[in-house]
Amino acid sequence: MGRLGLKDSDYWVKLVMFTCASVAILAILLIFLFIFRESIPAIRQVGVGNLFFSTNWAPNVSKPEAGHYGMLTFIWGTLLTTFGAMVIATPLGIGAAVFLDQIAPDRMARTVRRGIELLAGIPSVVIGWFGLILLVPAIARVTGSSGYGVIAASMVLVVMALPTITTLSAETLKSLPVTLKEASVAMGATRWQTIHKVLLPAAREGLLIAVILGMGRAIGETMAVQMVIGNARAFALSPFSRTSTLTTRIVTDLGEAAGVFRSALFAQALVLLVIAMVLIILIRLVSRRREAW
Amino acid sequence: MKAKRADKIASGVFWALGILTIAILAFIIIEILARGLLTAINPKFFLGKPEAIKGGGGIFPMIVSSLYLAVLAILLSLPLSIGAAIYMAEYAKKGRVNNVIRFCLDSLATLPSIVFGLFGLALFVTYFRWSYCLLAGAFTLAILSLPILLRSTEEAIKLVPDAYREASMSLGASRWTTIRQVVIPSALPGIITATILPIGRIMGESAAIIYTTGLFIRSIPTNPFSTAAPLAGYIWYSQTEAIVPDYRQIVNGGAALLLIIVFAIYFLARWTGNRYQKKKLLGASPK
Repeated sequence: MGRLGLKDSDYWVKLVMFTCASVAILAILLIFLFIFRESIPAIRQVGVGNLFFSTNWAPNVSKPEAGHYGMLTFIWGTLLTTFGAMVIATPLGIGAAVFLDQIAPDRMARTVRRGIELLAGIPSVVIGWFGLILLVPAIARVTGSSGYGVIAASMVLVVMALPTITTLSAETLKSLPVTLKEASVAMGATRWQTIHKVLLPAAREGLLIAVILGMGRAIGETMAVQMVIGNARAFALSPFSRTSTLTTRIVTDLGEAAGVFRSALFAQALVLLVIAMVLIILIRLVSRRREAW
Repeated sequence: MKAKRADKIASGVFWALGILTIAILAFIIIEILARGLLTAINPKFFLGKPEAIKGGGGIFPMIVSSLYLAVLAILLSLPLSIGAAIYMAEYAKKGRVNNVIRFCLDSLATLPSIVFGLFGLALFVTYFRWSYCLLAGAFTLAILSLPILLRSTEEAIKLVPDAYREASMSLGASRWTTIRQVVIPSALPGIITATILPIGRIMGESAAIIYTTGLFIRSIPTNPFSTAAPLAGYIWYSQTEAIVPDYRQIVNGGAALLLIIVFAIYFLARWTGNRYQKKKLLGASPK
């Protein structure tokens, strides 16, 4: 019992614990503040239009203020690679989740679940290296291109987003009331009919959240993509174009960047930060709908 | 009988998808180990000094950097996470403040690691003038791992049955006494598992540390303000800069070693978790 007596000590403890929890708020504010602070020179000197909505990225290392810093090419690169990854990872991840929750025998389900947890734990540099030594040459052989580019990046991102989508989708399916399934089966529906007419529609919001979070991983992935995308400044027009995403451009250029050049890279991080916040708000809206439903 | 056939086809497809995920994992593991395992377990490599320009360098200082960094980051993050988890699990009431904290935690969990890296660069390395060092990386990673640690710690605390709390409180114990003497001890094994898992994530992290701890060193870092070069970042650096003639071998060996370390941590966490669960079941079941 505390020296201050029962009630008082409880109050102080609660205050200390609350302070710990508020560190999360402080951290987000600090991150936003410092990333924004470092982006100000670029926003001021380059201007919002030329910074965010221009594809002209021609940095000047020795005289930073003489360069052009339009990041639209890389925003497009991020969208394109993420889209490519989600087209594959969404059906694959949700399918694997259905398999885990509805079809696999217990032992098999446990193996797959462990496997997916391990997959989630593989460091991005290792996946990037795997992509570089295996996927890139394979793509080069099949298509006759260099192998680097949007397709290779998307394939690497499938591996990064898959565990997130599968785990969260399986959790959603598991949280559905058993009565839903029982009612459907009792009506004479086959397993497939039950899955695609009853279970998947009932889990809709949860699956959407899983996909959004998987997308978040794909948008933010850096090293794995940087090793296979080719790191060009060109606007990607085909799936085989070598280009860059927001994250990979930062990593490629930051080492030699100074002045407004460096600031423009921080502005790209600011865009990533805003995207992450938007995704979380989206998830909030979706889960509110789920509660209402 | 169309429905029956559709059902069979669908089952086949789901089996294929489930097996495909395992196949992807197996493919990556086999490929990385096949190329790097022999290098990774060669003492000259994992106990050797790295070379800046010549070939034949090892990676021992990088392994030490990774371990050092992981320990520092967890030391910084764990007390905060436990405090915050106790607050969220035991004290927080549904309301606006709670909502804001959750929103911030979710945002932290979704932020790309490169954003943490740039933040660490701007605040610790530049603004605080620490330059590239272990502590800058550790603070950055502590913030990055806060939401993961907090969530798993909170879950461990929530697993403690309410009956324990009620029993303690009905004996006249205050809330804090209950938490300290009943809830925390019962949740401790769960908290330990919750602590081990993020270590794997921290040791695999590269984008958040290359601009905070440094990329290349030759001697072992001694204190928290030493420049360091964690393994994951060094793998990326070796591959991208490709200065030493045998960089491919270094990356192969480094990747295999990193994979082994991360998996070892995962199985350690699983093993402690399972052992705890078995004990609990044995203790709870009447003979």
